[in-house]
Amino acid sequence: MSHGIPRSTTTSHDNKSEAAKAKERKQIENYKALEKDVTERIQAQDFTNPTFQLTSTLLAQNPEYYTIWNHRRLLLQHVFAQELASNNGPPSNTTSQEPAHDASTTTTTTPPSNTQKKDTTLSPAQREISLLINEDLTFLLPLLKQYPKCYWIWNHRSWLLSRTSRHLPASASLTFWQAELSLIGKMLALDSRNFHGWGYRRIVVQEIERLSSRGEEEGGGSMVEAEFEYTTKMIHTNLSNFSAWHYRGTLIPRLLSSRAASSSARQDFFDDELALITQALYTDPYDQSLWFYHQFLMSTLDASNPQAGVILDPVDDGVRRRYLEQELESVREMVEGAEDCKYVYQALLEYARRLREVGGTVGREEMRGWLRELRGLDPLREGRWMDLEGKLGL
Amino acid sequence: MVGDFLKDCHVANDPLDQSKGQKQEIQDVDSFSRANRLAMKKSALIAGSLSRSGKRILHLDPNEYYGGAEAALSLAEAESWASRCAEATDTAVFSHASITKPPPSGEKKLLSSRAYSLALAPHLIYAKSNTVPALVSSQCHNQLDFQAVGSWFVLDSASNAQSGLIRVPSSREDVFQDTALSLKAKRGLMKFLRFVANFEEQTETWHDSKDTPFPAFLEQKFALPAASHGPILALTMSTAPSSTTSTGYALPRIAQHLRSIGIFGPGFGAVLPKWGGLAEIAQVACRAGAVGGGVYVLNKAIKEATKSEEDNRITLKLSDAEQVSTTWLCGSAETMQTISPAPDASSGSSATVSRSISVISSPLSALFPSTSEGGVTPAGAVVVVPSSNNDGPPVHILVHTSEAGECPMNQCVAYASVALSSDVGYAQIDQAIANMLSNFDQEPTPEVLWRLQYQQRIPAATDGAVLMDGSFISLPAMAGDLVLADSVLNGVQQAWQSITNEDENMFMKFTSRSEMEDEE
Repeated sequence: MSHGIPRSTTTSHDNKSEAAKAKERKQIENYKALEKDVTERIQAQDFTNPTFQLTSTLLAQNPEYYTIWNHRRLLLQHVFAQELASNNGPPSNTTSQEPAHDASTTTTTTPPSNTQKKDTTLSPAQREISLLINEDLTFLLPLLKQYPKCYWIWNHRSWLLSRTSRHLPASASLTFWQAELSLIGKMLALDSRNFHGWGYRRIVVQEIERLSSRGEEEGGGSMVEAEFEYTTKMIHTNLSNFSAWHYRGTLIPRLLSSRAASSSARQDFFDDELALITQALYTDPYDQSLWFYHQFLMSTLDASNPQAGVILDPVDDGVRRRYLEQELESVREMVEGAEDCKYVYQALLEYARRLREVGGTVGREEMRGWLRELRGLDPLREGRWMDLEGKLGL
Repeated sequence: MVGDFLKDCHVANDPLDQSKGQKQEIQDVDSFSRANRLAMKKSALIAGSLSRSGKRILHLDPNEYYGGAEAALSLAEAESWASRCAEATDTAVFSHASITKPPPSGEKKLLSSRAYSLALAPHLIYAKSNTVPALVSSQCHNQLDFQAVGSWFVLDSASNAQSGLIRVPSSREDVFQDTALSLKAKRGLMKFLRFVANFEEQTETWHDSKDTPFPAFLEQKFALPAASHGPILALTMSTAPSSTTSTGYALPRIAQHLRSIGIFGPGFGAVLPKWGGLAEIAQVACRAGAVGGGVYVLNKAIKEATKSEEDNRITLKLSDAEQVSTTWLCGSAETMQTISPAPDASSGSSATVSRSISVISSPLSALFPSTSEGGVTPAGAVVVVPSSNNDGPPVHILVHTSEAGECPMNQCVAYASVALSSDVGYAQIDQAIANMLSNFDQEPTPEVLWRLQYQQRIPAATDGAVLMDGSFISLPAMAGDLVLADSVLNGVQQAWQSITNEDENMFMKFTSRSEMEDEE
């Protein structure tokens, strides 16, 4: 099981009957024969369709066998190269990097963007490649459903998609990538905490933006607003979602700069985000992902953090003090009803420390009280709390 | 629908002499080695559960339509049903029935009778219950469609706010999003919800209060003010007034609601069977019984049942003077009382419930928001209307969209009930429905196109215990609960065990018939 979503497993050998064991032995024999066959064919450079079909059978049984995925890609690459070489269509470097134009027309100096948008015709080679990629994506679907956390399936999928960018005109490739976005939406609806899904989504969004921005549309094809909205929806579906909160955080600096947000707009935005996370923390202070997001927001104020994202602008110690005081007060109120929640006390000590660093004051007795609670709630980490005590000079 | 079902109801190893040409004619005494006379939905489940047992089953239904008290009716069928019930006495199960068809003010109108399949017994089934696992293990689930019951609402009739319909938060995410709750209120409610999630292990908090009225418990132990009780009580689905709903009754019911969420899909925890409530489950179970060799007959009642002292066999005298011999006789407690009154059986008290089924001219989409990003659109919603005087029972309205297969598109069906007799109950449910509809600010305003109202007498539930007298098994009535209780299936299981003597783990566990064929 992985955060409530069962991982596909096979049953233990001991519980099976003799008949089942015999059946299983036969299955193992068949599997090993198949593996041998595929490996031998690849070694012999037999990149024909029968070999391809055999890899399908093998991978359907064992998608974790990443070497076979490599073989499959070799095969496909071989076929793609053949298609592009043998056909009379445009040369193989006519990809989404350049507009695809009719072989019969003379080279003109039309700017790429104009022909780009309208030209959706594929050469015979491209059509064939498109079909092959589509078939392979279809082959992957049931496997992905069954093994949603298998790295190699995601990897092969993104390889196939990258081939569309390489071999097909932008509009055709874009269709593939957009379908992929829709698929990943469904996968995340099934398991919103599958980090493979979230990472994959970022790749897909990035590629769609890249392909769309070579069109004429203003604003490029930036999807940052839509993606931000998506994280809002996902958080509302499941508050406890490290990936969604994290993605949200990474989008914010870009979001604000794409909006060309003024200082006051940035402040409003920051205040709204703090209000949102405070609302979440009052709902469930026991959820660590929420504290991480709160820390992220506060980290943008941290002068000592070179990697801090930019939300507020400008930030000086006065601003820092104000927000730290505000949040410290807010977290103090959260203690009531959550006296057994160690995250609250950890946050109090951390923000108190930072407040002092920028010239604010927090009583040592109060801080000692928090540390006492923390020690009581988490005695196994006594070493860490002793260290903290020293660092804070308590 | 009924006729079609009968055509399906073939007997596999035909105990009847086919040469006589009539499937439904019952032969004389010797033809059946075992037979069970059954009624209503639980009987359908028994027939289904016995379908692999090798027993010969005869399932008799005195009605001319299938499904008994859990039938699904077209408009025309509802009309005949209502006229029959209108003449019934107060002690009958159904009485005081009438149909109203207000003239529509707009363009919306009723479609043909067969476009509707209205459930006499709309229920919701929680994920955390014994029903769905049994349907799955018995392979019935392949023939059933279940749909999500998504949101619960409380109608705040006292409120002057624009929308008196308040969505009940029943998960952490709901509480998070509820803009009407202050931060402190969120915290308070969450503390209570976290407690309920494993209340069994925190007996020190509630055990002494188990008989205390639930609202008092909420105030005393969780500092939750009276204004916040409505949504919490709605989750109990208690048909009794809040002042008589005890803590011990409320807590497990709320826990069932909360624990069920997410099991079938994100954001919801209960389902409704498509095509007309329990009628569909009963039909599938009967079909299973029929495939296993059972015979289902309509329009036949048992007049009398006598048990022979010598061989323990029961002889049944049927309504058309035919006789059948059987080893076991199984039926509802009430029916068994009529056929073979047991001197020691207490008549027991009964509850009276007023009910109505209304066809609404609008889909009322605001009641059915998707429960998660990319998730399903629910087909069911629950609206609870607290009594205007604090001590009365609430009205419950189950609303089903057209996706439930009970009405055409762009309409919906509202099933209302309140634990009061019709002299006061009808007015209350009418008011509740009118109130609910007034919260929909749309053009044209939604209205009731057709309404059936009826009074139902529900014998007091006997905790699922199956009373037996030798070879007579009497199944307790279903309580007036809108939530399908585990006790229903438990009662069936007890009966099944008496008849088959099999291990309790085998109950409703069937391999698929097609699998069995493959293995041969």
